[in-house]
Amino acid sequence: MAERRRRVSVDAGLPPHVSTHKSGGRDQWSAPLAASPVDADAAALELLGEVLDPEIPISLVELGLVYGVEVRDGVAEVRLTYTATACPCMEFIREDVTDRLERERWIRAVRLVEVWDPPWTAERITPEGRRKLRGLGVGA
Amino acid sequence: MTQFSEDELKAKVQDGYVVESVEEMTEGYRKALIVQLTVQADTELMSAPAYWMAARHAPSTNTQVSAHAIIQDELAHANIAYRLLEDLGESKEHLVYGRQPHEFKHPYGFDQPLENWAELVVANGFFDRAGITLLSDVYRNTSYGPLKRALVKVDMEETFHLRHGEVWMGRLAKAGGEAREILQRAVDWMFPMTVEWFGLPDAMKRHSGQLDYRLKGLTNDQLRQVWMASTVPLCEQLGLDAPAHWDEERNEYVLDFPFPCRYDDAAKRWLFDEGEISWDQVFERWKARGPMNATYVESVQRSRETVGRWLNGGAA
Repeated sequence: MAERRRRVSVDAGLPPHVSTHKSGGRDQWSAPLAASPVDADAAALELLGEVLDPEIPISLVELGLVYGVEVRDGVAEVRLTYTATACPCMEFIREDVTDRLERERWIRAVRLVEVWDPPWTAERITPEGRRKLRGLGVGA
Repeated sequence: MTQFSEDELKAKVQDGYVVESVEEMTEGYRKALIVQLTVQADTELMSAPAYWMAARHAPSTNTQVSAHAIIQDELAHANIAYRLLEDLGESKEHLVYGRQPHEFKHPYGFDQPLENWAELVVANGFFDRAGITLLSDVYRNTSYGPLKRALVKVDMEETFHLRHGEVWMGRLAKAGGEAREILQRAVDWMFPMTVEWFGLPDAMKRHSGQLDYRLKGLTNDQLRQVWMASTVPLCEQLGLDAPAHWDEERNEYVLDFPFPCRYDDAAKRWLFDEGEISWDQVFERWKARGPMNATYVESVQRSRETVGRWLNGGAA
């Protein structure tokens, strides 16, 4: 019976063009790295490239929200911003970033530093992000 | 005006033809699309005052911002659908401001008062999920190009509403005690309310023009199953009682209550003990509209006239 149940996803009925609402794109996050990376900062940034915006299925990095990542003694310090000071999805973004990095054995804690200066503008969206947004019918 | 007969257009859209303009439509197609879009627009519009009423109970300014962002999304979604209706010759002004409360076509669930934070988040978890179930089916299948393109944004935003509902349902369930009780009470009336929203069972359904014109892809019962396939496991995960279960033999979700049945809107309680009623009785209840119908419609319409008067220098 459990087998049969599994056939029906909790996300059944959601359109394929959106990431699932559990989300941050976590249904497609890669498995944790097998070994500690040589360049931890670059590796952590790459992993954040898997974390999707809670509404639009493009990554926080492509959206230009991640200002930098430094990993020191297993603590990842993520400097990030939001598209607005009253962004309704802040809490989800914090949760998604923390969850993605804490999956890794070489990261024991995540510290989020919220940055408002310089502020986010649409200029910060990467060319790839822009291309994806256009594909989704969102102008930027 | 049209270049196709009814039968020609039906055959063409079943073959994948995409309708882009009113000139390509038959009268039957245009009318079926107007009905579908009116229900869609009215549902989005009336969810706004319903959620607004509950958003007052937000536990913090941050959560209130999230709730208001959802309300803003819903109003924008309504605007998109009314805008599409204008292309079909309808007047947005009349549809929003010129109709009486009972003339709106939203489901009965959005005529109910949402009176606490738990009811708001269950509405996000259940009602918005019904919305996305219906609209993602339309997205996948509709033969009307402008609607398909418009729904990309709508569906993406609805996923945020769902997540908001699920995260908060999880928090209230985990807190236990009074939080859990009030959450369960919301589930008790809102689960059957959403099941009913999907309408007449297929076996009783008259011919569906929406399927013939490929304005949607799945039948009422199929859509109800899709909704339950995600809602029942969610409730199980959270340890909440939901009146439906997976039936191994029938290979589908089965309801654990007489369906349809009577609803006591004052007590917010389904009268399971009184057994099954007819769909004609349900249609009567829907037609009479629910307790908040006039209040919600009035809250959308009332300032139009007042502010209009101010702008016109006080002239009536």
